[in-house]
Amino acid sequence: MSMDETTSHTEPPAYFTRLAKRLEPTSDIVKKTLKSKDRIVHLLYLKSVVDIMQLQEIVVKPFYEMSADQNFAEYIFSLPYETKMPTGDEEVLIEITKGNVFVMIDKQITLLELKVVAANAVQEAIMEPTIHGPQLGLSESIETNINLMRQRYHKPSLIIEPIQLEDISNRDIALIYDGEKVKPHLLKKIRARILTLDVELVQASGDLQYYLNNKKYSLFPTSLLTERPDRILHNMAGGKVIILVDGSPHAIIAPTTFFDFMLSMEDAYYSFWVVTLIRFLRYAGLFTCIMLPAIYVGVTSYTPEVLRSELALTVAASRIGVPYPSFIEVFFMLIFIELLTEASMRLPNSISATATTVGGLILGTAAVEAALTSNIMVIVVSLVAISTFVIPISEMNYAVRVCRFLLLVYTTLFGIAGMMLGMLGLLLYLVNKDSFGEPYLRMFWKNRREELEADDS
Amino acid sequence: MKFLSLSKWFLMVLCISGMLIQYGCAFKDIDKRLFVSAIGIDPAENVENGYKVTVKVALPFGAIKDSAKPSFAYLSREGHSIGEAIRMLETHIDKVLELGHMKTIIVHEKLLRNDMQTFMDYFIRRGDIQLISYVAGARPSAETILKVEPKTEAPASVALINFFGATANDSPYVVTTFLFQLRRDILADGINPVLPLIETNEKGDELIVNHSVVVDGREDPTVLSTIETKYFNSLLKNSTGLTYLVKKGSLELLLNISQSKMTYQFVSREGSEAPRAIDMHIVMKGIIGESNKDLSIAKLDEYNRLASKEVKQKILHFLIKMQEENLDPFGFGLHYRTTRLYTEDLFTAWQKAYPDIEFKVTVEVKLQGTGTIE
Repeated sequence: MSMDETTSHTEPPAYFTRLAKRLEPTSDIVKKTLKSKDRIVHLLYLKSVVDIMQLQEIVVKPFYEMSADQNFAEYIFSLPYETKMPTGDEEVLIEITKGNVFVMIDKQITLLELKVVAANAVQEAIMEPTIHGPQLGLSESIETNINLMRQRYHKPSLIIEPIQLEDISNRDIALIYDGEKVKPHLLKKIRARILTLDVELVQASGDLQYYLNNKKYSLFPTSLLTERPDRILHNMAGGKVIILVDGSPHAIIAPTTFFDFMLSMEDAYYSFWVVTLIRFLRYAGLFTCIMLPAIYVGVTSYTPEVLRSELALTVAASRIGVPYPSFIEVFFMLIFIELLTEASMRLPNSISATATTVGGLILGTAAVEAALTSNIMVIVVSLVAISTFVIPISEMNYAVRVCRFLLLVYTTLFGIAGMMLGMLGLLLYLVNKDSFGEPYLRMFWKNRREELEADDS
Repeated sequence: MKFLSLSKWFLMVLCISGMLIQYGCAFKDIDKRLFVSAIGIDPAENVENGYKVTVKVALPFGAIKDSAKPSFAYLSREGHSIGEAIRMLETHIDKVLELGHMKTIIVHEKLLRNDMQTFMDYFIRRGDIQLISYVAGARPSAETILKVEPKTEAPASVALINFFGATANDSPYVVTTFLFQLRRDILADGINPVLPLIETNEKGDELIVNHSVVVDGREDPTVLSTIETKYFNSLLKNSTGLTYLVKKGSLELLLNISQSKMTYQFVSREGSEAPRAIDMHIVMKGIIGESNKDLSIAKLDEYNRLASKEVKQKILHFLIKMQEENLDPFGFGLHYRTTRLYTEDLFTAWQKAYPDIEFKVTVEVKLQGTGTIE
């Protein structure tokens, strides 16, 4: 290389300038030209997302330390940090914003992935805590999350498929599945659903899940949001697809059945009879929190002969002086308990305990003293509130909370028969529902071979 | 477009909440109901051929645990029929009379005849009265018995209910008869229903149930004594916890019978279908509960023999007494009717044969121990 050729290269080439212009006027842009007597390299990156130390170690230092007879370009292209070079200016710019370093040596260009992620710490599982299972959940960085998956699932058939969403944030989304177990048509369906999404901005797994649902007024979730790696792997091994969104500590599992939401990962870590008991409790809790307010109205106002005589008299006695009919009493108390739940969820941990105590104990007692509600009603509402939290997944928890209001309206109008009608309606709705083409209320009571045969037909 | 759908939503919510207020007449809060716990029926004093209906209403009390005494209200009304009287009673109170918890029907002793079916019909037809209600006779009158509030009665519960059905009291002296059973037995040929008879002490603060009444067509129904009630219960209902006193010379044994089983067969007269005798076999198992002498386990067979003989005599006595009165509380006739090929004069043949039928009773007492450890 002759001297005047190098000088002609001191000025950045047109392509480099064009890219840099597109990124301006942001302050964290760095255009750097490394120059030595016989070679010249142009670097373009955003310093806020690039690991400066690594850049120094890997690119800048060797540049000045390498002797003249060594080929610096060859060195750069052999680095393991290289990412695939996309076509088109726009895509290259997106890569740069993700934390890649654009390197131009003579006419050759490449991207080096030297990104630094601040929020890659693995978080503790808060929403689905277990006693015996793994204590840590996912992190907010997709790379760390993929790393977590790989660490726990050593199989060449684990496939990570990146998907670029057409929203304004250009967030990284990855489909993760076991290529041997997943059903191809299901995968196709989920991929198509994500690619056809027409949304402004996806912030986290939560809203992506909502958009995937495809229906505006839907009560029950058709995909499951989890923060537990063991739940992710449990479902992946069952042939389901996991969707990860960068920046979100939750993964989406699709498709799901109703019973997936009633499964706690704790179930896998205990012995059979213990799990049977816990599951029984959980389903009993489910029915209690859906039906108990309705049963209270139906029994006290339509068919008190269902109760034992002693209980009937106790209930009647506790209702003496309550001015409103039973269903208004129940609505009042249910809304009160919902407020309490919502408030304690939004408040910081230290205050929420106080709020619950003040609300639950003092207001409850005071409401009874003031004859606004009966004693029995306070018991019913507390029981409902407690049993709601037995449902392990919070989305199902919310859905069930809505259901009990519907059932309450039915019972108020038609008594116990109305309640059964409402339950039947709910059942019909669930039977009719599907999650990405899989029946929502599908029960897995056959053995594995029979299940497979049923799938084929 | 947005506004339209919003207003539609608003209308829908308005309509639904409007419906809630129209909850209709079936919706009655529990504190707007009065729970009748028992009904008493007496012959009317002022209405000819009428009835006097008394209801015992359990009043809900502020704090049930704090109230020492149960609180009841009593309402009485006379009428030509029970339904009429109850309808009129409803005009005497500010709340709905709720009969869903009515578990005991008490009938005056004088009304316990086969024709009681006509007035008991009301209870069968009313949907909210349970057919598993208990029916009992009352002496001296249903109203007096209803108004007895025993000291052992807990608040928010009715002592009358606890007596029957072995839920609380399972004494062999207490006969339990359900409403459906009474109707069935009255309408069936070949059986006489047996009702418990409730009495009270002189002070009127105790309920005593240890007699029973055999219902039949006659004016004065036959009352079974305490002992007869016990035999009836132990033989027919296999009641447990019986005691039998056996005497032999100076030896007195009190047997605690925990199991008793009666089986019987009809023995036909030669050449005809009509029964000549009833071959009855009774097995009783138990232990010796009390004795005035030292007992030895080796002599258990002897005690068995002794006890069998004594029990046999007492049962035979009871059976023959019923035969002489031409009553059939055990339902021998019903059993005969249902196990023979039907002919038109089947039941008349039985009726003719029953007064002369011979009882061949064998009793087998199987004592399982002397009640003590040697």
